[in-house]
Amino acid sequence: MSRVRRISIMMAILCIYIWAFAGLPIVELKETSLEVISAIFSGLFHPDWGYVYDPGGEDLLRGLLDTLAIALLGTFIAAILCVPFSFMASKNIVKSKATVGISKFILSFIRVFPDIVLALLFIKAVGPGAFAGVLALGIGAVGMLGKLISESVESVDLNAKEALTATGANPIKTFMFAVVPQVLPNFFSFILYRFEVNVRAATVLGIIGAGGIGTPLIFALSVRDWERVGVILLGIILMVTLIDLISGKIRARFT
Amino acid sequence: MIAFKHVSKIYPNGIHGLHNINLHIGEGEFVVIVGLSGAGKSTFLQSINRLHEISEGEIFINNKSITKAKGNELYRIRRDIGMIFQNFNLVHRSTVMRNVLSGRVGYHSTLRMILGLFPKKDKQLAMEALRRVNIPEKASMRADQLSGGQQQRVSIARALAQEPKLILADEPVASLDPMMTGQVMDDLLRINQELNMTMVVNLHDIEIARKYANRIIGLKAGKVVFDGKADEATDEAFAEIYGKADKTSERMGMEQYERIENTANG
Repeated sequence: MSRVRRISIMMAILCIYIWAFAGLPIVELKETSLEVISAIFSGLFHPDWGYVYDPGGEDLLRGLLDTLAIALLGTFIAAILCVPFSFMASKNIVKSKATVGISKFILSFIRVFPDIVLALLFIKAVGPGAFAGVLALGIGAVGMLGKLISESVESVDLNAKEALTATGANPIKTFMFAVVPQVLPNFFSFILYRFEVNVRAATVLGIIGAGGIGTPLIFALSVRDWERVGVILLGIILMVTLIDLISGKIRARFT
Repeated sequence: MIAFKHVSKIYPNGIHGLHNINLHIGEGEFVVIVGLSGAGKSTFLQSINRLHEISEGEIFINNKSITKAKGNELYRIRRDIGMIFQNFNLVHRSTVMRNVLSGRVGYHSTLRMILGLFPKKDKQLAMEALRRVNIPEKASMRADQLSGGQQQRVSIARALAQEPKLILADEPVASLDPMMTGQVMDDLLRINQELNMTMVVNLHDIEIARKYANRIIGLKAGKVVFDGKADEATDEAFAEIYGKADKTSERMGMEQYERIENTANG
């Protein structure tokens, strides 16, 4: 029985693979492919160092700083916006099933949109630029943060709440002393994690015109200025790695 | 100090948690409530500070009705009643100091407590409470780093920081080993004697009840079946309290109900 089952599962998986690979167009290298690839690599190894800092106009450092600012501001907005949602979506805090259901629905509704789609919408709404990027990341992160934090709220130990009630604390004080201290470390940890994600997302947002380092990147790509592409990529790699490293170190201290 | 007047608790499924209880507990008494689990001990204790609502009758704390108190009046009465729980009910992630300070929140405005600003006097009070239970050196440690017995002492310190007029203890030693049991019960006895603090303690262990109580109240199926001095509580009296309950099935039902309600109330 189990042997028949195992064989039939293996057959099914094999069929799916064959079907998937059959659907692939034949991989075909253009004549220029090799040339372009070698140009990109030579650009990466011979970056345009002059672009790193240019007191007169746009340069790499300013672009990266813009990106960082978009990510930081977006995360900050999300951190504030997600708080009411995450508590309203926790069924151990809010007794009304309707409120919990609606809040959970709003959070998953926001999560449906990829950051890029949100950014496109906001570019239409507020015009291209960093502000659209900030709004996209700020709203987009609420979905994920709200879900994670509400799950953390739902797992708190409510015995302490009983003890606080018994000391004569009103519901607000009880909440501040029995629930908040249990959620706070997770809260900061999630916010930092989302900041890491946002930094990566913000580098891409510029490509569609929502501010940050993506804009000079797409310009350099379109004029095949590989040395500049190289230096921008190096800058992004360095910034993202550094931020992941620092934020990871800080997050480790929270748990 | 505490007065029960015709107090009954009927659960929605028709089972009597408490059955027409009339009694008075005076200042400085060390009262131990004994009975089988499901006899209504917990309901009895938690109705004193109204963590459990009663269905009939009235309970008075220092001549004030807690049953009819609303809002701030209720919080004011609760502030005078310290409570110790079987599972300590500490905030694990907070420091010992902060857990003890949380006994003081009833004394300050909501805004001040949102900001978490405690006056210096409160911190001294908290330290003094920790000294009274012999763990002042643990003040800056996280609560979950302590042993069970030490955690229960923190919760006693929290109750003391409230500067209460009486302390309720709901099975304070049920989750502790025998060694810790003695230490925690000694702490409670010392507080009772040194501060003349009224103690109402739920216990299921007869030997501990006899050793520490100066008055024992026996509950059975929500009724008071024994109320007397500790030395009057003979083996026969205990046999009556713990004897074969006539409605075993009903008691089982209520036990389950209490558990469900406890989880629902958090």
